[in-house]
Amino acid sequence: MRPGIPASAEYRVGDRSKPAVLMLHGFLQTREFSTVATLARGLHDAGYTVLSPTLSLNIPGRMQSLACEAVHKHSLNDDVAEIGRWIHWLKSHGHPAIVLVGHSFGSLELLAYLSEKPDAAVKGYIGASLIEVQIGPVDRVTLIAQLENRVRNKQRALVNQTLSFCTKYPSTPEGLLSYVRWDQARVLASLKQSPVSVRLIMGDADTRLGGGWIKALQHVKTPMTVVKGANHFMDGTHEFDLLEHTLNYLKTIQQGPSR
Amino acid sequence: MKWPDSIHIRHIALAFITGLMVLVSLIGGFAAYQTRAVTQNLELQNQNAARSELTAAVQRLLSQTEEQAVDLANWDETRQQLVLPEYYPYWRNQRIYESGMLPSRFVRAALYTQAGTPLEPDPGNKPMPASLPAGISPHQPFSWLSSETGTIALYHSFPVYSDEQRQILLGLGLIRLDFMHALLRQQTLHFIDVSSVSLELKPGEQLLASELFSRLSYRARPDPDQLRFQSILSRTLLALFVLLAAASLLGFVVYNRLLVRPLGRLSQDIDDMQHGHFTPKPARSHPMRISELENIRRSLYEYQLQLRVLHGSLENQNREFHSQARQDALTGCHNRRAYEEDWQRFREDVKTVPQGVAFLLFDCDRFKAINDTYGHAKGDRVLTIISDALVMALRANDRLYRLGGDEFATFLSRTTPAQAKQIAQRCQSLLDAANFNDLGISEPVGISIGIAFCAPEELEHIDELPKQADIAMYTAKQPGRNRVALYGDDTERASQTLVASRETSALFQALSTPGMIELHYQPIFSLPEYTVGYYEVLARIRYHGDLIMPDAFLPVIGSRRLETQFDLAVLRQVDADLSSGQLPAGCGISINLSAQSLSSPEIASLLLELSRHNANHPLMLEITETSLITQINEVNTYLELLRTVNYRIAMDDFGTGYSPLRYLVDLPVDVVKFDISLVNKLVEDNRAGRVVADFARLMTDVGYSLVAEGVETETALRKIESLGFAHVQGYLLGRPVPLAQLAAPGTAAASAMPDANDSVLA
Repeated sequence: MRPGIPASAEYRVGDRSKPAVLMLHGFLQTREFSTVATLARGLHDAGYTVLSPTLSLNIPGRMQSLACEAVHKHSLNDDVAEIGRWIHWLKSHGHPAIVLVGHSFGSLELLAYLSEKPDAAVKGYIGASLIEVQIGPVDRVTLIAQLENRVRNKQRALVNQTLSFCTKYPSTPEGLLSYVRWDQARVLASLKQSPVSVRLIMGDADTRLGGGWIKALQHVKTPMTVVKGANHFMDGTHEFDLLEHTLNYLKTIQQGPSR
Repeated sequence: MKWPDSIHIRHIALAFITGLMVLVSLIGGFAAYQTRAVTQNLELQNQNAARSELTAAVQRLLSQTEEQAVDLANWDETRQQLVLPEYYPYWRNQRIYESGMLPSRFVRAALYTQAGTPLEPDPGNKPMPASLPAGISPHQPFSWLSSETGTIALYHSFPVYSDEQRQILLGLGLIRLDFMHALLRQQTLHFIDVSSVSLELKPGEQLLASELFSRLSYRARPDPDQLRFQSILSRTLLALFVLLAAASLLGFVVYNRLLVRPLGRLSQDIDDMQHGHFTPKPARSHPMRISELENIRRSLYEYQLQLRVLHGSLENQNREFHSQARQDALTGCHNRRAYEEDWQRFREDVKTVPQGVAFLLFDCDRFKAINDTYGHAKGDRVLTIISDALVMALRANDRLYRLGGDEFATFLSRTTPAQAKQIAQRCQSLLDAANFNDLGISEPVGISIGIAFCAPEELEHIDELPKQADIAMYTAKQPGRNRVALYGDDTERASQTLVASRETSALFQALSTPGMIELHYQPIFSLPEYTVGYYEVLARIRYHGDLIMPDAFLPVIGSRRLETQFDLAVLRQVDADLSSGQLPAGCGISINLSAQSLSSPEIASLLLELSRHNANHPLMLEITETSLITQINEVNTYLELLRTVNYRIAMDDFGTGYSPLRYLVDLPVDVVKFDISLVNKLVEDNRAGRVVADFARLMTDVGYSLVAEGVETETALRKIESLGFAHVQGYLLGRPVPLAQLAAPGTAAASAMPDANDSVLA
């Protein structure tokens, strides 16, 4: 999707009268991840065109989940740009209405895309198990300052930092910095400022979420469905809950833009 | 090959044990051979297993490397490094191991551009190649080995694509690993001796992985089970040998004690019995543990006891037989067999202990006449009395031997001539004192004793003693002699009184030299014609031109007992004379023979040979000294034999003591020659003259042909003619002449041709 770094996506063509769904996987995962793969099949079965890309993370033709300990030379900006390319691709393939559906970190990356200048074809956003960028017991401000200092000083040494579920995450300072900036506040603000309709589907048994995250979302009145008993991956019977709530939301999205 | 007649039982045991050892050795050898075959098979299997194992290990290593290469090629982070190589060293040195893509740091990886240049030079002590080998295809994996400093590195290059379709080549990956270390650290090498595995590769040389096996050398690890098997088998065989050797030794000892020794003792006892050595307690002290041998031992013991009794009995009988065999049955003294044995032993003994030795020969005077006169029983009693007297006269340890007839002998040890003579005199004395009157023998019975002595320094001549004693005895027997004569003193004296030593030499030379005896022929005239009837052959010895007459050498013949040899010489000369043809044809001759010669087979043989002349020259034998004839039966037989070949027999010297009337009756006599003493009686006009005349007429009447000897007077001649004598002989009519003279014409003898019709030889 970027020069020299090919990326791939699974493209299931559905009813062209329905909006196409761009389904994005979670942190360092691929489109083969169970939650998104199941949901993609369910949506396709429901007649929706589904494009499930695997973010390259600056790895040509990435097909495997990227290990935490791998050299991470990607940034949130790279991810957002790649999302934009896939949206462009969908549009080029005759899909004027696109709904972004993400899971976990993918929901955050899609939200980051929406916070930029999103394509007009994007009509809606579903964030399942939306999570902020967690950095462990490190002061985020200090970390951001250090990273900014490194970037500014062009210090290229890899930085090992806890990021999301990775306790060891070697990354370039600017790449890490791009993720670290997305704390709860920025996420909430992005939700509030989303140019398209937003629906969050959260599980009340999601232990990966930070304490009070769902309450915070509710506090800012984010459209949200909380699935009782569902964990972060909404597996088991909650896969159907996720599909059902997603379909319910999609039904509300029309082909034409309604911003 | 000749087998021994018998084999010792110990040798059988040794042969059995040896055979057993050989058999076990063969079995052991066969087992060892089989074991070796199995071992070789196992070793071959072990080799095959080792080769398979090594092949599998190498293949596994190559496969693992290829798998690692495939994993690396498909690993996202590998592709990431090829497009964003900023943190390539981190990836190469750390990330690749932390991720588990490479198992250990012995395996290294590097990435190269499509052009084959490294993404970044490797500063390590074992740097990755600065470039990939030229000629390798970037789209094909490629493996090779390279000998580096002390290490053989296995390299495997592989392509890395950015897409699943393998269309877009990002670059090349290279895995390097220490081949030998990686190969040998595998836990699956059980048959390979790990320390022996090596790869022949020169420093800096590169080798394709496909050619790897041609350079790989190795050695199979010995199979511990096989070694244990061989060890167990070796120990088993050794133990078997030791056990067998010990068992054989023990068996041999037991065999020796139970069989060999007892059998040896039995064999020894039997050998002793065979040689007559009886042990005091035969085979009693060692009872035998083998019942059969014990039975044999008991039987042998009982048999030995019986045999000992029998042996004792036999010994007594043998002693008795031995004694009887050496004892004269008549007189009780030792016989001729004992004499021969004792004399032989005595001669050997005295040579070791030099001493004076005397040999005494006893002979009864006129015993034949006594025997004939008084009968054999009386004769035997006379011999017994003589024997008893001689035994009594001899010393305590001297033995008397009867040599035959009336001849006895003894030999004295540690003696002198004087002592021997003294003992001889004692014999004479005791015998003179013996009383023969009880036997009805009134005439004196005496013995003549000849003694021969050998001084200690002359013992090499001891063998001549019997002969010398015989000569001495003959000397003693001569009329007028002392009846004891010692050879040497008495015999030489007698010889020297009779003949000179010249005559003795002449005699011995004549006996060994044909032709020295010269025969003279004295005519014997027939009566009443007074023609030569025949000739009496008279012997002379021609010695150095001189003629030695019989009265000079006859005593020597008598003293030396040479009658037979002399007669033989005379007969050979007679044969020569008769064969010469000088004797007038038809002329008979009369030959004198001593009585001793009559028993000689040589004389008899020669006489039979001479008988061939009988056709031309009738032959007559004149027997003299008939008193010395001891074997009258044998002589009678010989004379009868000679008569069958036309010899006539004349009794010479009739009327003297040598020609008793008894012989005239017993012997086959044709002619009786009246001795000169009787002829002289004829001319006496007295009773003696008449007795002789009547006796002559009587003999003529019964058929004897009478010859008168020594007629020297006309008176005697007429008297003889009147009494009917057939022939007359004497110097009155003719003297003895040599043959040559006899043959010459004109001699008295030659002119008086014999009258064959009236010859006593006819």
